[in-house]
Amino acid sequence: MAEAPDEQLMLAYRDGDAGAFETLYARHRARLFRFVLRSIKSRASAEELYQEVWMRVIEARATYKPAARFTTWLYAIAHNRMVDHWRRAGLNAVSLDGIDVPADDPGPQRHMEGREALARFAAALEALPAAQREAFLLREEAGLTVAEIATATGSNEEAAKSRLRYALAKLKAAVVDG
Amino acid sequence: MADERDPKVSQRYRELGAEVPSRELDQAILAAAHRAADKPHAPLVTPVGRHRWYFSLGAAAVIVLAVAVTYHMQQEVPDPDSVAVPAAPEERAVDAQAKRPAEKPSPSVAPAPQPSAPEPARELAREPAAPPPQVFVPDPESQRQERQRELAREAPGARSDSVGAAASRPGTAAQAERRAEPGPAPAAKPMQAPVVEAPERMLERIVQLRKEGKHEEADKLLAEFKRRYPDHRIPENVVRP
Repeated sequence: MAEAPDEQLMLAYRDGDAGAFETLYARHRARLFRFVLRSIKSRASAEELYQEVWMRVIEARATYKPAARFTTWLYAIAHNRMVDHWRRAGLNAVSLDGIDVPADDPGPQRHMEGREALARFAAALEALPAAQREAFLLREEAGLTVAEIATATGSNEEAAKSRLRYALAKLKAAVVDG
Repeated sequence: MADERDPKVSQRYRELGAEVPSRELDQAILAAAHRAADKPHAPLVTPVGRHRWYFSLGAAAVIVLAVAVTYHMQQEVPDPDSVAVPAAPEERAVDAQAKRPAEKPSPSVAPAPQPSAPEPARELAREPAAPPPQVFVPDPESQRQERQRELAREAPGARSDSVGAAASRPGTAAQAERRAEPGPAPAAKPMQAPVVEAPERMLERIVQLRKEGKHEEADKLLAEFKRRYPDHRIPENVVRP
């Protein structure tokens, strides 16, 4: 069961197999959490929204049909929850607080440069328009294709592709500058 | 489609960190999943849309409104006696003849209002300022006559006379009429509407009685005729030779 595809696990959970959900949750918890956290400034709000997404998955298990990849369905739910969140609170950027630095210690000078480069990248990610940032995060965290990003965000492929390209161009510029 | 991914950007993004949800959050979600699995297909959130209180309140309001409107409309129905259109005596007699075999029990007086009568009457009640239609203008003379006829019909003698006359007729017609009677049910008779006989019909009966030599009965009937229709012209062959 551990190697079973997501869709099969979800169907098993629909039929009452709680263990299938645990496997599914373990697969997606970290990526989904980062996607939500980097889309929303507040960690508390991110945790609340993250829990809402999973509750929605649990609630919708009875009507689940594997018409698309489970991942696309999961991130579509997350997208909808975030849209609701943004409507309530306005557009918020990702937080720069608590950025972890790689463990290797290349020396004080390199360490400072590394922190600055990472901060620049984080700032560039934060400065992205929400739709572009979401497209980038869906690509990086969820591993969705352009078509799947379009499906998850309720847009068309051209729009999704355009957002992803703009996001990559800005982030690439931030990396090169570093 | 070109791969929309840049290795350097991806690597830098990974360097941002690998945050994970807290242990408490994981436990809460997994516990909810287990609870839901124990109760298959039970929604976590109660569907409130189908059980809102105002659905029942709205239904109750609609019922109350319907009852109130119905009651109000019943109150608006006018008294048929006050607006009944007086029908011509001949017309009423024809109606009575047609109704006689059926002998319908009816609590109302014989000249029942025409089926269309209450409708214009209701219109009149709604628009008192509008000039009433010509058909409803009460003629004092006809009203007086109508009232007299009604009093005559309400008198018990009218009915018994009619029945008695029918009984006195010889032949199969009288027998058939007697057979058509609902039998010995005296309690039901007062419920039956009194039959109004047309003056022409009464005159025919008088002539018939005279032909049969029953002059006393013919005189009685003639007296009754004069009482009922004092203005009616009496032919010569009706008067006793």
